[in-house]
Amino acid sequence: MLSQQLVNGVLLGATYALFALGFTLMFGVLRVINLTYGFYFSAGAFIALFATRQWGFSIWLALPLAAIGSGLIAVLLDWLLLTRLRAKGAPELASLMVTLGAVLALYSAMTLLFGPDIRRLPPDVIGADALVFAGIRVTQAQFLVVGTTAVLVLALVALMRGTRLGVGIRAMAERPDAAELMGIDTARLAALVSFLSGFLAGAGGVLIGLNFNAIQPYMGEQMMLRGFVVIIVGGLGDLRGALIAGLLLGVIEVLTAGYLDSGLKEAVAFAILVAVLWTRPSGLFGQAVLRRA
Amino acid sequence: MTYPPWLDDFLWTYQNVIHALGINGLLALSMYVVLAVGQLSLGQAAFMGLGAYSSALMTLKLHLPFFVVLPASCVVPALFALAIGVPTLRLSGVYLAIATIGLGEVLRAIYLNLDVLGGALGLSGIPQRTETWMIYLLLIVAIAVLWRVGHSRIGRAMEAMREDPNAAQVMGVNVQRYRLGALVASAVLAGVAGALGAHASNFIGPNEYGFEPAVTILSYALLGGIGTPFAPVLGAWILTLLPEVLRGFSDFRGVFNGLIIVLAVLFLPNGLLALRMKRRAA
Amino acid sequence: MRFSRVVAIPFVLASLATAARAEVPVGAIEILSGPNAAYGTSIKAGLDLALDTINKKGILDGQKIALTVEDSAGNKDQAINAARKLVGRDKVVAVIGPTLSNEMFAVGPVTNERRIPTVGTSTTANGITAIGDYIFRTSLPESDVIPVTLKKAQARGVKTIALMYANDDAFSKSGFDVMKAAAEKSGLKIVAIESFGSKDTDFSAQLTKIKGLKPDAIGISALVEPVSGVLLQARQLGFGKETQFIGGNGSNSPKLGEIAGAAADGLIVGSPWFIAKPDPISEKFVSDFQAKNGKSPDQFAAQAFDAMFIVAAAIDRAGAADSEKVRDALLKTNYSGVMGPFTFTSGRDPASTEGVVVLEMQGGKFGIAK
Repeated sequence: MLSQQLVNGVLLGATYALFALGFTLMFGVLRVINLTYGFYFSAGAFIALFATRQWGFSIWLALPLAAIGSGLIAVLLDWLLLTRLRAKGAPELASLMVTLGAVLALYSAMTLLFGPDIRRLPPDVIGADALVFAGIRVTQAQFLVVGTTAVLVLALVALMRGTRLGVGIRAMAERPDAAELMGIDTARLAALVSFLSGFLAGAGGVLIGLNFNAIQPYMGEQMMLRGFVVIIVGGLGDLRGALIAGLLLGVIEVLTAGYLDSGLKEAVAFAILVAVLWTRPSGLFGQAVLRRA
Repeated sequence: MTYPPWLDDFLWTYQNVIHALGINGLLALSMYVVLAVGQLSLGQAAFMGLGAYSSALMTLKLHLPFFVVLPASCVVPALFALAIGVPTLRLSGVYLAIATIGLGEVLRAIYLNLDVLGGALGLSGIPQRTETWMIYLLLIVAIAVLWRVGHSRIGRAMEAMREDPNAAQVMGVNVQRYRLGALVASAVLAGVAGALGAHASNFIGPNEYGFEPAVTILSYALLGGIGTPFAPVLGAWILTLLPEVLRGFSDFRGVFNGLIIVLAVLFLPNGLLALRMKRRAA
Repeated sequence: MRFSRVVAIPFVLASLATAARAEVPVGAIEILSGPNAAYGTSIKAGLDLALDTINKKGILDGQKIALTVEDSAGNKDQAINAARKLVGRDKVVAVIGPTLSNEMFAVGPVTNERRIPTVGTSTTANGITAIGDYIFRTSLPESDVIPVTLKKAQARGVKTIALMYANDDAFSKSGFDVMKAAAEKSGLKIVAIESFGSKDTDFSAQLTKIKGLKPDAIGISALVEPVSGVLLQARQLGFGKETQFIGGNGSNSPKLGEIAGAAADGLIVGSPWFIAKPDPISEKFVSDFQAKNGKSPDQFAAQAFDAMFIVAAAIDRAGAADSEKVRDALLKTNYSGVMGPFTFTSGRDPASTEGVVVLEMQGGKFGIAK
């Protein structure tokens, strides 16, 4: 039973990590608590829902379409809401507030359009049978979540480390003013980072919606609190940290529920958050802000 | 006091709104106090919950009279603020905000798991002890005190901290002590507001003090601005009245509400009442 | 001020009774926006459908019912504001709703203070009608339904049970309390009690733990979304036909089949009504509802449909749009509707539990459990 519980924990943790990747990137580089992030997650899931249900796309086509679609939505919203504030050097409170108003409007609009009901992707987009190894059961959707998370983390780390673009993004994360002086077009980079986070959020929305069979307008909102825990424990802007923190959180929650008391699952997660903040405010893994990407 | 029937009807119909305006005004001030020293704490909803639950228990289980319960309702939140203050206030900016959200969620989990607090069923059958005058008297007193403090030496020190905490420290302001003081004051205001709310509506439940209300309280202060104590109260009033004015639009209501916040921030970045800030800038 | 309020009530009521009105104002408070809007929307559709028929004929010699449906967004304060607006400004003679038991605990004392009969159609928690003498409900409390369901499970050989519930909403918690008490009373052995959040999507830890204990049955008290999630994940974790799943009132929705599909097969739930009920009134309701709304009704719509008729009939029997008389008339309700024969107990709860049938999910649809 312990082995199945550990697997459960890793699978749950992978969904947390997947949600947090784009969140930590957006947070770390653009330095705003952008509450619209959860909306990109919901938007991705809904795009995939339409692509599969209405147009009969396969999941392999719907997934990239949803990711790109939410990436573009993220660029648009960032431009509409935050460029002005960034240009004026407005305090981070202003960005928090404007994105708060925006998500309220966006979720309500989405509920108006699609209704509040829970939906799911067509059951036949992916096999439902679990694969069994030595008594441990894992579904194909869960494999897809873990696989995609791994691929995305590797791709992002390669991008940050190995390309000029990545160097630019990291420079911007550390010293936006200096980056500007060095001739980096920060406005364009901000748009690009928005696209990347929206892309990651959208992909996460599709896969997590698929995995849990639950797609509805507020699904992104419901991930936000866990998302905060992961990006803080992992260190703001630290992609590898987000991955480890996500997995850790998943395992701890599952073990709490499995061996302690399921009612304490959330309390333990948030107690860890507070404990980390009290002792190591820049995250468990050292410096925050992308230095360790 | 006797009112003509139409006025009595009007007051009855809008009693909850009238109460909410005052209580949310107090909550906005509780937010203002921490923002005024440059700290973004999102623990106000948690403080309010502690005040609400502790006062409701005092009334329901200990049968204490309300004139004892109301002042006592700020004790638990204030002690909690003192206990978490020292480690938490080392943090700043978004870290502080998220730490306080985390604490709020831990408290919510406790409410859900403790049988004496009713779990998800909350506490019901709380007698209505709150009178309108109590709420507004406390609101006026709070505004007056904060106004006085803002115009004293302490107020200037707070302003200095908000602009640049390091410089303020060098100039001899004990930044940590001010921050802790502000957090405790904030907890007291929110705790009293929680007690007033609990004794105005018969019922309290754990989900009233979670993440969403925390963000709502923040938006009161941000919409109004923090130039003077009046500003956050005005923000609270606008955001409390909006859903009532927009009643009947169902989900359109959320869309309007959100858009108004967006437009206010984009075009009035210092809040609606930014008088004091502007004067300084000029 | 409080004193003058009491004095004002008879005055207002008298003026209401004497005024010749073409319309009788009735209010409803339901969740029409926000994350829980699905329930309120369904209830409103049920009320509207009933109103179509009622207003064709009229009550009190041809008056129409003017139904004002206010949105509570699932928020306590907005529910109270809605109640005060309906009673104080719209002068309604009765209130239907609110949607959730939590909201009723806040709204009930307000309407009860003004002596406005308030009829919950979906509030199943314990203690609802104890709020006051003007608080009614037409929904069967869980404590009437769950013992029937458990009896069916025992007849199938269930001896041990694990209980799961959403610990953060009143409806699920109260249903769980009932389920636990009923299981103990009927001699079932409870091997585990696990909780989750009503917005949770992952239940693997709790289910894996339960699987290790091998209970004959799993009882779930939660709204339909998490129940669907639990079932889907249970199948992934290898729970098969040998485990009897038992749902509370929240599971009794066609959405269970839509979301969980075949994973829900075999779940049993007690219900005052089901969509394939072989009864002409019910069949007509289902086809009318489908024609008007383009989708199938759930029990929330069915209960609301009956409640609207019950309230309309009570106003008619009261002989005047007078809330005091409507309350007395409501107590004498003897109505036969979609749910079957209906009367109130003196405690203002539904009197008869005879209508309770145990349903079983098969192929994504509910049918009578054999």
